Amino acid sequence: MAHPVDLVFHATLPSDPRLLLFVRTLAGEGASAAGFSDDERGRIELAVVEGFTNVIRHAYKDRHDQPITLRLRAPVGSFDLQIEDRAVFVDPAKIASRPLDHVRPGGLGVHLMKTTMDVVDYRKNEFGGTTLTLSKRVPGGAS
Amino acid sequence: MNVTVEQLAKGVLLVVEGQVDMHTSPELRGRLREALERKSTPIVVDLTKVAFIDSSGLATLIEALQAVGKFGGRLRLCGLAPAVRNLFKLSNLISIFDIRETREDATK
Repeated sequence: MAHPVDLVFHATLPSDPRLLLFVRTLAGEGASAAGFSDDERGRIELAVVEGFTNVIRHAYKDRHDQPITLRLRAPVGSFDLQIEDRAVFVDPAKIASRPLDHVRPGGLGVHLMKTTMDVVDYRKNEFGGTTLTLSKRVPGGAS
Repeated sequence: MNVTVEQLAKGVLLVVEGQVDMHTSPELRGRLREALERKSTPIVVDLTKVAFIDSSGLATLIEALQAVGKFGGRLRLCGLAPAVRNLFKLSNLISIFDIRETREDATK
């Protein structure tokens, strides 16, 4: 079925891990609407789940009742999602992955986002928290 | 997510279904701990019905791998869907785990 309008979504959700299935599904639908392959859809889902999880775990320190705003825009050819928290802004230079050759649990989320998306950008937002932008363009597709 | 556990003649089989993420990985961690306490190896984790794992799920499997190694046991994974296998590659873990194509091969 053809969808004539861009997929746009804007909502504020609680920082509840039970919503990760919804967040993944939203990301996947956005990726498919933009024209990404199933393989790329899976990578985008992964990046978005990692971003949402990092906010719950690190920004909100596992508090599950804090606001996370999602802003998705997925026109044909590109996927852009912002994940906005209202915690304390963290210097992007301090957001690092563990070395991949150090096999231990944890520390892979940022690495996975950076290897699956074209843009992974952290900015301080108007609430003093962090806005994470995850963007990707369809290879060879329309912009 | 759902995890079923089956004691084999030799080893333990865990069949996982659904999405493994921050919300569901504690349940998988609990089931793996129960399996580890049996000291029966190999511990086989069948991921055939898992379409998605994130880094929380990976961390759970790494913990189990390290724990099983402490008593000389083995952990095997099988049935990885392409997206799940891709995650192991992206994380440089594809050669760290003993990954088999089928449950039959993993439980031999």
